[in-house]
Amino acid sequence: MNKTEIAEFELATLELLKTVMDPEIEINIVDLGLIYELYYDGKEKINIVMTFSTPACPLGETIISNIKETIKQKHPTFETVVDVVFHPQWNNSMVSEAGRIILGL
Amino acid sequence: MNGLKTNNAPHSSVVVPHFMFGAISFFIVAIMLLLSSSSLLEVYFNNKLIAITHMAVLGWATMIIFGALYQLIPVVFETALFSEKLAKFTFWISIVSVVFLSYSFWVASFSMLLPYASVCMFISLLLFVINVLLSYRKSEIKNWSSKFIIAAIIWLLLTELLGTLIALNFKFNFFTETHIHYLQIHATIGLIGWFLMLIIGVGSTLIPMFLISHQLNHNKLKASFFLINVGLLGIAINWFLINNSILKGFCWAFVTVGVLFFVSFIYDSSKKRMRKKLDIGMQYSMLAVASIFLPIIISSALVFSFNVEFELLSRIIVFYGFSILFGFITTLILGQTYKTLPFIVWLEKYKKLVGKTKTPLPRELYSEKIASIQFYMYLGFIITIPIGILLNSLVIVKVGSIALLVVAILYNINVFKIILHKVKPNKDE
Repeated sequence: MNKTEIAEFELATLELLKTVMDPEIEINIVDLGLIYELYYDGKEKINIVMTFSTPACPLGETIISNIKETIKQKHPTFETVVDVVFHPQWNNSMVSEAGRIILGL
Repeated sequence: MNGLKTNNAPHSSVVVPHFMFGAISFFIVAIMLLLSSSSLLEVYFNNKLIAITHMAVLGWATMIIFGALYQLIPVVFETALFSEKLAKFTFWISIVSVVFLSYSFWVASFSMLLPYASVCMFISLLLFVINVLLSYRKSEIKNWSSKFIIAAIIWLLLTELLGTLIALNFKFNFFTETHIHYLQIHATIGLIGWFLMLIIGVGSTLIPMFLISHQLNHNKLKASFFLINVGLLGIAINWFLINNSILKGFCWAFVTVGVLFFVSFIYDSSKKRMRKKLDIGMQYSMLAVASIFLPIIISSALVFSFNVEFELLSRIIVFYGFSILFGFITTLILGQTYKTLPFIVWLEKYKKLVGKTKTPLPRELYSEKIASIQFYMYLGFIITIPIGILLNSLVIVKVGSIALLVVAILYNINVFKIILHKVKPNKDE
């Protein structure tokens, strides 16, 4: 896979993750701005760096397993590694334009 | 994973029974109020009203708060609950104690049953306090929300200790003053020290979380914490030792300003919120925060009310108690039930299914239509009862009591609909 194909795959995976919802806020995690980085190694591994609105988010574990399961459904042999960070801290400006429309901003 | 502390949540069998018993108690409170509506128009220390009050504050409000707190300790303290077994044991001893205590008041068995019922209640609350304190000891997070919770449970223990002493005094008669003297301070530290402090502690975490608002001024919470605690401590010391009306006025002013700092914090949170549309749970919560002005106004009037006729004073005190217990506490609990319980049940039922199959949203576990009707019936109740009390009209109080019964039935329907929710097999599979 060349760099362009990897970038296209990463964008497609990001699009796929738009099906993963935050059940409380009722917005997908991509438009909510929770995904900071997404890397594809060109083989069978995806690395995701993400955050939550609070370190003790009660839905954190559930959202992570939803991400892994969603990718597994599409790419059954892939390994997904999710790394959770709290720097930079998530804030309102990270919400996408589509997310702002859903929230009525 | 760095810093994610979400796997500390207790098993739902620790939390959910509190919501079940709380909802049933709310229904029992509505029945008791309907059977004894006239108690709202009599002196505030009549046995039926005290029975209703204890069923409401312990069986309904405290029980839901205990359940919610067991779920929230991992969120606020960022550590697991010290002991789930102790929490389950505390639940069973608490429900027996609450029923025993309320029954003792209802049948006016002050020297035969009440002393034993209060000792049982004290033990159950002590177990709860121990569990929370030991959880806090494990926690590395010492934020303002957790400090409010710790202060609240200490006030709860002091409230219950005083309540138990009042009950034992019926049998052993060791107090120098009348029961009414101690009953007033028992109620004051219970409502302000336990409920208000706890609600501020939990509310200052949950409300911004549900409204999705960040960058709030936590110095307002700090000011609120010191002012309410110093004010309440002053009220208690003045009550027992000094009995000076000017000092009493100062202490109430401290508490009032402290509450206003909290209201201002919530107002900021509301202004900075990302989620503009308020769902039913947040509508209740915002109504509760707004309604806190009513007891502030009444308590200020009570502090500076001299030479008021006893009958009128008694009705104002009942109105004051009603405005805190129903206007503020119950309103907030009704709202927060719709925010927390669906999540607790949803997590239990769907956490292993997310991503594999289509899952409903937590709010789809209850009927929003029923919740909405319940909200307007509740508004009717909290408007009708004060009018009935102030006009001394039993008919109006009865109408309000019927409205509360309808609210309690609708609330129970939704609570049990959530708890008994069954996972439906996916038709696509």
